[in-house]
Amino acid sequence: MKYKKITKKNFNLHIIQTDKYKTVFLKVNFKRKLKKEDISFRNMLINVLFESTCKYPSKRYMEIESEELYELQYRGSNYISGNYSIMGADALFLDPKYTEPSMLEESFQFLSEIIFHPNIDKTGFKKTGFDITRHTIDDYLVSVKENPDFYAQMRLLEEMEPNTVLSYRSCGYLEDIEKITRKELYQYYLDVLENDIIDIFVIGNVEEKEIESLAEKYFPFKNRQKETESHFYHSKNIRENVKFSSEKLDLKQSKLLMGCQIIGATDFELRYVLNVYNYILGGSPSSKLFQNVREKNSLCYSISSSSQPLVSVLTIRAGINSWEYDRACALILEQLEDIKNGKFSNQDIEDAITTYKSTLKSYEDSSESMISLYAGIEYLGADEIPNRIQKIESVDRESVLALANKIKLDTIFFLEGGEEHEEEPPKAF
Amino acid sequence: MKKSHLKHFNLDIYEEVLPNGLSVHVVPKKGNNIYATFITRYGSYDNVFIPSGKKDFFEAPMGVAHFLEHKVFEQENGEDPFAFYTKNGADSNASTSYMRTSYLFNGPDAYEENLNYLLDFVQSPYFTDENVEKEKGIIEQEIKMYDDIPYWHLFETVLFNSFHNHPLKYPIAGTVESISKITKEDLYTCYHTFYHPSNMFLTVVGNVDAKKTLELVRKNQEKKNYQPQEKIILKEIEEPDTVLKKKEVIHFDVEIPKIAVAYKIKVGNFDINKLKDYLGIYFNLKLDSTSPLREKLKKENMITGGFGIDVIEAENHILCVVNMESKNPEYVIEMMDQEITKKKITEVEFNRKKKTMKSGCIYQSDSVYAISSIINSDLLKLGTVLYDLYDWIDNLTMPEMRKVLKSITFEEKSVTILKKD
Repeated sequence: MKYKKITKKNFNLHIIQTDKYKTVFLKVNFKRKLKKEDISFRNMLINVLFESTCKYPSKRYMEIESEELYELQYRGSNYISGNYSIMGADALFLDPKYTEPSMLEESFQFLSEIIFHPNIDKTGFKKTGFDITRHTIDDYLVSVKENPDFYAQMRLLEEMEPNTVLSYRSCGYLEDIEKITRKELYQYYLDVLENDIIDIFVIGNVEEKEIESLAEKYFPFKNRQKETESHFYHSKNIRENVKFSSEKLDLKQSKLLMGCQIIGATDFELRYVLNVYNYILGGSPSSKLFQNVREKNSLCYSISSSSQPLVSVLTIRAGINSWEYDRACALILEQLEDIKNGKFSNQDIEDAITTYKSTLKSYEDSSESMISLYAGIEYLGADEIPNRIQKIESVDRESVLALANKIKLDTIFFLEGGEEHEEEPPKAF
Repeated sequence: MKKSHLKHFNLDIYEEVLPNGLSVHVVPKKGNNIYATFITRYGSYDNVFIPSGKKDFFEAPMGVAHFLEHKVFEQENGEDPFAFYTKNGADSNASTSYMRTSYLFNGPDAYEENLNYLLDFVQSPYFTDENVEKEKGIIEQEIKMYDDIPYWHLFETVLFNSFHNHPLKYPIAGTVESISKITKEDLYTCYHTFYHPSNMFLTVVGNVDAKKTLELVRKNQEKKNYQPQEKIILKEIEEPDTVLKKKEVIHFDVEIPKIAVAYKIKVGNFDINKLKDYLGIYFNLKLDSTSPLREKLKKENMITGGFGIDVIEAENHILCVVNMESKNPEYVIEMMDQEITKKKITEVEFNRKKKTMKSGCIYQSDSVYAISSIINSDLLKLGTVLYDLYDWIDNLTMPEMRKVLKSITFEEKSVTILKKD
């Protein structure tokens, strides 16, 4: 696998040459500093672009063309990366060796059509595609509670910090989506083309020179400033006392969520030690949460913790019966305390490190994972693979203990469902 | 050891049936990952059977195959298989479907140790009254978690209403009530009947040596004393061609109504696997993102995402389940039904779908997971691996497609709607 970054005045081109895959993955990323009022625009925009183009006047024609291009897979995405918002336009297609020699260029052309030749009239984006996109997003947003795990996680972060990047919803906001006009969205599109920082990633069995010339031909962005700040967000509002919040929904199972702030952690701690800590707490089936709350006490089926190093947060979630709230809370808190008090083994640390290394190795089997790895290097200043292995191996007992003492429970969110039961309803913790 | 070529993946496969009846299938593939699955042909379908060594039929509580899947992880020495695999940097998991229970590990390192352990932990059951009781709370939460997912509820209801007797109508995990009755004796009865090596197969795909793998499995199995087993007798199912219930509307807390329409189609003289492919192509052409109907309904703001399509086999019937979300369910159901009953497609469309099926094979050949799941699905349904999927796709023809459409009817259907009031 050979990686090369070519820095141009209009975009950065990242080429990963490898004969490992039978596909080529092409990704064009648009990045800018995150503002809450931009999110709905960006989500609308990427979806409108993927709904129709000048040449393919509806989704149906785009789909037929993608099938003719040997099932080329294309999609738009919009996500939050700490202090930044990233929109992605992707195309995954078969290595032309398995199809026709012209397919490399035709696939670039297809993605270029989506980005540079939208379906517009003199007002802005055409009404049909614009309305379809708006309805699809509206329907998604009004139904968001139907995925209780996702909804509870979103609500937890909002309760922690309602007005910072920590809790912004990458899917946008109903009230904002409804206000956007076709004209405004088109103007926003022109602004994105002009000002967003552009990174183009290509991975596959490709020739560097050929890819460079295809990228220049099909992605003729204008020159731009590319200065960027850190993606890492650190909270300035650390809560003295734990906040409790709850909501009732018509569900059989209740969701208990806990959000912790990670205060004053170093770069090394966020990138490496946190990984080991999370593994021991609730990142695997052998973790303390899984073993003690699920296996020993049969309180739940799903329980886990996950870390979000970009915003210095650790979250815990469990699906329980509502009347088991107090017991579950106490058990979870006990696990957090146990790690602080050193109640974990050196074997736990070793297992976490082994898992980290195996995961990195497995990444190499997936072109999409490799792109996200190189995107991490570009955007987050992440280390290259050999350095990562060296650094993760240096995580020891003391470093896990030091980090454990920087992790503070901030908010509990309880999405309460459940059937009638004779025991007391949950109390605030 | 038999070596064959999988043309559509451009990979070799090595196969052998061991003296105890276990069939082993190995596909070496460059890369780092190794994906191994150990599967018994036993799922929630197989609820009434004659237990090994007995004469009379036994009816197990609903959800026992899934319960058993959980408990197979219990080891007499107290070791947790999940912990074993994470120690070796591998993922492990298990799942139960209507037709099979599958145990797997996936990871780049410690292959031989991992493979031996997979065979050993699945083949050493240890059920006690205490560990069976303990699992009930965990599975109860699993059932409740799925019950809260609207699409899950929709799907289970439409399956229940489509069949009179076929076990496909019952939820794989059972109900909170049915699992409360499961005992360790039930688990042993099911285990000893269905977990005999002759009812199981092992598939390994990834960075492995086929010869060494087979040697390892052979040695592992030689140590275990399995006696030959008679053919397993399942109670025959008599399933009428009609659906049990034509329509059901359920109150559920959803903003936009969710709809499932299941068409029950008689297999008749067709080969069931081919018929499944023809129906898959047909329903996709009529309803997927390339279809005029979807485009029309999106423009009218009558459906949200699109149509979801599942083609499910059930012995003498195939069930084509279409799901969707609409603020106007009656209208969308009518439009969809009109489109489906037209029974018309063009040769150009048909050939385009065949092209995408062939391209799909190449995409899949990049993933150890995808290769493994295709091989496992072939073994379960056909009893053998398909060595040339291109040939299979080429043999799907327009004249036969027309014949299928002429012979079948879409009259028997069951509709389920989830909505707020």
